Amino acid sequence: MSGQPPNHHDAAASAPVIATQDLTKVFGSQRALDGVNLRVGRGAIGLLGPNGAGKSTFMKCLLQLQPITSGSAQLLGREVGREGREIRKRVGYTPEQDCHIPGMAGCEYVTYCAQLCGLPFQAARQRAHEMLDFVGMGQERYRKADTYSTGMKQRLKLAQAMVHDPEIIFLDEPTNGLDPKGQAQILELIQSLWRAYGITVVLSSHLLHDVDRICEQIIIIARGRVLVHDTLDNLKARRRGAAEVVLADGQDHLEAACRRRQWPCQLLPNGHLKIEHNSASLNPLLNLLHELKLAPLEIIPSPNALEETFVQALEISHAPA
Amino acid sequence: MPLHDTGYQHWQGVHCGLWRRRWTIASNGLTACLQNKGLRYLAGLCWAAALAMTALLFLLGQLLVADSIVVQWIGNLSPDLQGFARTFTTWLEQHPEVSVRTTQDVLFFYFGLGLLRLSIFALGMAIPFLITRDLGSNAIIIYASKAVSRGDYLLGKFCTALGLMTLTWLGPVCAAWLLGNLLAPDWRFFWHARVPLFHALLFGLGSLAFLSLLALGVSAVAAKEKSTAALWFSWWVLGGMMVPIAAHTNPWLRHASFNFNLDQLALGIFRLGDDLKIAQENIPIFGMMLGNVPRHTMAALNSPPVWGAALGLLLMAALAALVVRKRVKPE
Repeated sequence: MSGQPPNHHDAAASAPVIATQDLTKVFGSQRALDGVNLRVGRGAIGLLGPNGAGKSTFMKCLLQLQPITSGSAQLLGREVGREGREIRKRVGYTPEQDCHIPGMAGCEYVTYCAQLCGLPFQAARQRAHEMLDFVGMGQERYRKADTYSTGMKQRLKLAQAMVHDPEIIFLDEPTNGLDPKGQAQILELIQSLWRAYGITVVLSSHLLHDVDRICEQIIIIARGRVLVHDTLDNLKARRRGAAEVVLADGQDHLEAACRRRQWPCQLLPNGHLKIEHNSASLNPLLNLLHELKLAPLEIIPSPNALEETFVQALEISHAPA
Repeated sequence: MPLHDTGYQHWQGVHCGLWRRRWTIASNGLTACLQNKGLRYLAGLCWAAALAMTALLFLLGQLLVADSIVVQWIGNLSPDLQGFARTFTTWLEQHPEVSVRTTQDVLFFYFGLGLLRLSIFALGMAIPFLITRDLGSNAIIIYASKAVSRGDYLLGKFCTALGLMTLTWLGPVCAAWLLGNLLAPDWRFFWHARVPLFHALLFGLGSLAFLSLLALGVSAVAAKEKSTAALWFSWWVLGGMMVPIAAHTNPWLRHASFNFNLDQLALGIFRLGDDLKIAQENIPIFGMMLGNVPRHTMAALNSPPVWGAALGLLLMAALAALVVRKRVKPE
């Protein structure tokens, strides 16, 4: 056991962890995945899309939980479909729905999951307790998992997915059913997986805020197709031209100045002033503030870039050909 | 504040092999089964029956010793009975293939079939713990996302059923044979009793494998525990009730009962007809006793419909495999 993370960043950092070529999955007459071509590197990856877009199917195909109809996929450099066991030894997965084994206590369940991944019993038990500590479960780990609250079940799912020290972890809607405090705690944990411990995270969610907070790379899927695949920074850069300004006073002056320059602006319910300055850079806005001698408390560039990109992508996908 | 580091630690140990992972699935399933109090009692009952069988074999062995405690005890009951026992002993000493082989063949045939009934009952109670629960709770997804394949999972569950039946059937049978012959007055008992053991093992291993596969199939039919257990018991009981009716109408319908098929297979393997014929030819008293046995019973003993039974079992096994293949998927 070592406290030092393996250097996932250096080792084959440039090699894609996920690569697909014309990946297609058909259920009856419905194409859940329609020729998906992707090359995704290590990092925190957000998989976005409306319900039924194909996010979960994409993850399940990579994990071989669903057979691929056509095309091919590689995960961690190995061919999905031919090296399933070896791939899954290095991959963690938390499904959307509850999946504990009835009658088992939390720590027994996580130990069992570790054994299924090939850890010897003693190591599995020790590791299970470490992971349950990591996800913040206390004495309730000795209770049967059937009696757990939704929050505890989510933590248990996270613990079982990490117990064998995977290189990549797939999280399917990990904050579903959690209260805001629970959501924040789980997101913080997930965030630390890549940033502090070098584990690649693939987060599937329809909650843009979760993805925005954690992920560096974004994949937007709709109708089984990849609409957008880029880094979050690039997406935000594409949609620069709007900013939210927080001022202690002088909002009226700023609003008036914006109108003179024909920059649409709007006072938001939270007191922020949203300004569309129509520039890739913040400099025109900063110059204006300087001219007005206003000192902003905060400037949030492209505050809704992800949401806007998401909506725009969906509009394009729904538009008739 | 935690007393120790609760941060994430990477693991760099050596992974276990595939067979260890399959064993984990099997042993975990067996542990889950034995958490059921009823199943523990049933297993205890089977081992108690094994002890009773051992005692019976011990008493029969003592009959072959002229001045044994048993013969003396019979003499205390009645001097005439003691005279009969001594004559009987002389006959048996002259024909060890009858006294040991035939006796133990008959005893292990009935003992085996009796324990088989208990094992089928135990398997019915264990059915929900095999696949049903994993389907109902979505735990099947967790198995599918770990470093085991569907085949590994099914092999593990198959071994769970096999392990349970070893506990309630094969274990007690082998223990009774071993202890019974160990307590016999002569080491040659082991030699003469080799055929009954071979018969018991042949029948036992075959039926264990078949019943385990059938149990997996029934367990995979539904995701509700009560449904699969009810299906197992219904098939067993209704099939058993149908046999005497079908015997007079459509005899082939009897093969729809797995219990009937297993009985016929046991008759075919133990070949009790041959054993009784040897006894009849060598020991006059057996000849007199067997003369009273109805002709159709002897005919059934001599030529059971083994091929029909084997075909019936094969079809059931194929059906079970088909159900498992169709139902045991992660989604």
